[in-house]
Amino acid sequence: MKYVILIHANPDPWGHPSSRYTAEGRALPPEHHDEMDRQFDALLEELSASGEFVTAEALADPASSTLYGWSPEGHLATDGPYAEAKEQLAGFFLIDCASRERAEEIAAQFAQPGGTVELRPVMWPGGDDQ
Amino acid sequence: MTPADLDQVWRRCAPDVLAALLRRSGDFDAAEDAVQEALLAAARQWPAGGPPDDPKAWLVRVASRRLLDQRRADLARADRELRVTRQTPPDALLAPAADAPDGGERDDSLTLLLLCCHPALTRPSQVALTLRAVGGLSTAQIARAFLVPEATMAQRIARAKARLGQVGARFTPPSADELPGRVAAVAHVLYLIFTEGHTASTGRGLTDLSLAEEAIHLTRRLHRHLPAVDEVTGLLALMLLTHARRAARTRPDGSLVPLAEQDRSRWDRAAIAEGVALVEAALPAGPVGPYQLQAAIAAVHAEAPGAADTDWAQIETLYRMLDAIAPGPAVTLNHAVAVAMVDGPAAGLARLEPLLQDRQLRHHHRLHAVQAHLLEMAGKDAEARSAYATAARLATSIPEQRYLNAKASRRPPGDPAADGGRDRPQP
Repeated sequence: MKYVILIHANPDPWGHPSSRYTAEGRALPPEHHDEMDRQFDALLEELSASGEFVTAEALADPASSTLYGWSPEGHLATDGPYAEAKEQLAGFFLIDCASRERAEEIAAQFAQPGGTVELRPVMWPGGDDQ
Repeated sequence: MTPADLDQVWRRCAPDVLAALLRRSGDFDAAEDAVQEALLAAARQWPAGGPPDDPKAWLVRVASRRLLDQRRADLARADRELRVTRQTPPDALLAPAADAPDGGERDDSLTLLLLCCHPALTRPSQVALTLRAVGGLSTAQIARAFLVPEATMAQRIARAKARLGQVGARFTPPSADELPGRVAAVAHVLYLIFTEGHTASTGRGLTDLSLAEEAIHLTRRLHRHLPAVDEVTGLLALMLLTHARRAARTRPDGSLVPLAEQDRSRWDRAAIAEGVALVEAALPAGPVGPYQLQAAIAAVHAEAPGAADTDWAQIETLYRMLDAIAPGPAVTLNHAVAVAMVDGPAAGLARLEPLLQDRQLRHHHRLHAVQAHLLEMAGKDAEARSAYATAARLATSIPEQRYLNAKASRRPPGDPAADGGRDRPQP
């Protein structure tokens, strides 16, 4: 089953990994971040080895977004960000694993200072068997 | 012969060719590469004059030559002392003559299937490797069927093969006491292929690939090798009986048709006949397994001319037996439906109560869908619609979600909000 892990954060200035640039992240010592980086690399290695990792991307500053609205006359393009919310979408991971429990186990390891990690199932085009 | 026919010919041959090579050489990777090269050669040469009389022998000959060439090149390049390898000339690797008994060949492809389901591999790895090595599917085809990028699937397969090498898995059948567990693993892998892969277009204008049909094909082979294993017979029967309903299962717009509403004239009667015969053949004097029970349940449905003729009492009994040997949420839900059909919706709903308290199960759309269905049976329309809406929100299958949304917005006749009685999701 596929899941997305969405990283919502407010890094200021925008940067990756976002955990270093959030207010809560900046308050932590560099050794803490280095340790988190090591653990994260190990997690990615594990997910690659198991074949559970599908794809992931870090996203650019939402100020570089273009937003498209629809009207009966045609589309309307405006500059981003999508929302004036504090937290923006900073990155995503797409994983493929055996169960919701496993997905939760993985997502929990993404929790970061200054940010909310969201785990959401991906839809499947096939139907349940009847 | 069309390109699609040729593709079928060499795809069906490929596992036996691979098995023949693996018998002599332990190197899975090298053997696979050699088989792929032989298939490429076939793709180049066969279209012109048609396939050879014995396609398998041709492929084994060409693949063996490639394997030897590659090995010689590796040894020469390594510039080290020549190891004593079994310098088997290509002739000795030819497939046996057409009139020779094919027992050895059959055992090889069974051994290959058992190897792909080695316990050192994770279940998804077993599935991918089985489809690759035994099913003869390309990495791209497998990737498309499971909706992951080709690179991801290639990596899974490569790591699975590496893992086999790591644990020293040999191309020999498992020991007598390992065999039952291994066969069970194979059955589980085949069942996953049947239920989890979906039809994927191969893209090059060739035939659409149905993983369900691949699973049936592989299970047939397993059944031929192991006719005395009742759970394998049961699994094949279950697949045939389930697959028999596919034409009636979806409407042209892709939405789902529940079992009770399916047009049974669209069920595949030949598949049903075969499935029912297998179920009856597998009814043993001894203990019965979950696949046999599920197949028996499917057979009861298949034999009812119409939904109203269904022998729900028998189905209820079978689910009670299944609950005793292989309990689980799906069994409990299906059992609750059967109980409702026999003893009324209140009895069925009572069985759902403990599940609704369960933290994990509350996330499952099927629990709420079944609850909704039973509430509907009980005439509690408003509660039913609410449960359907909850189920719809939790669903992860797009057609299933559409169906549940339609049920959630349907009004009974006479309701002023009814939309002329037509099912349609709210805008």
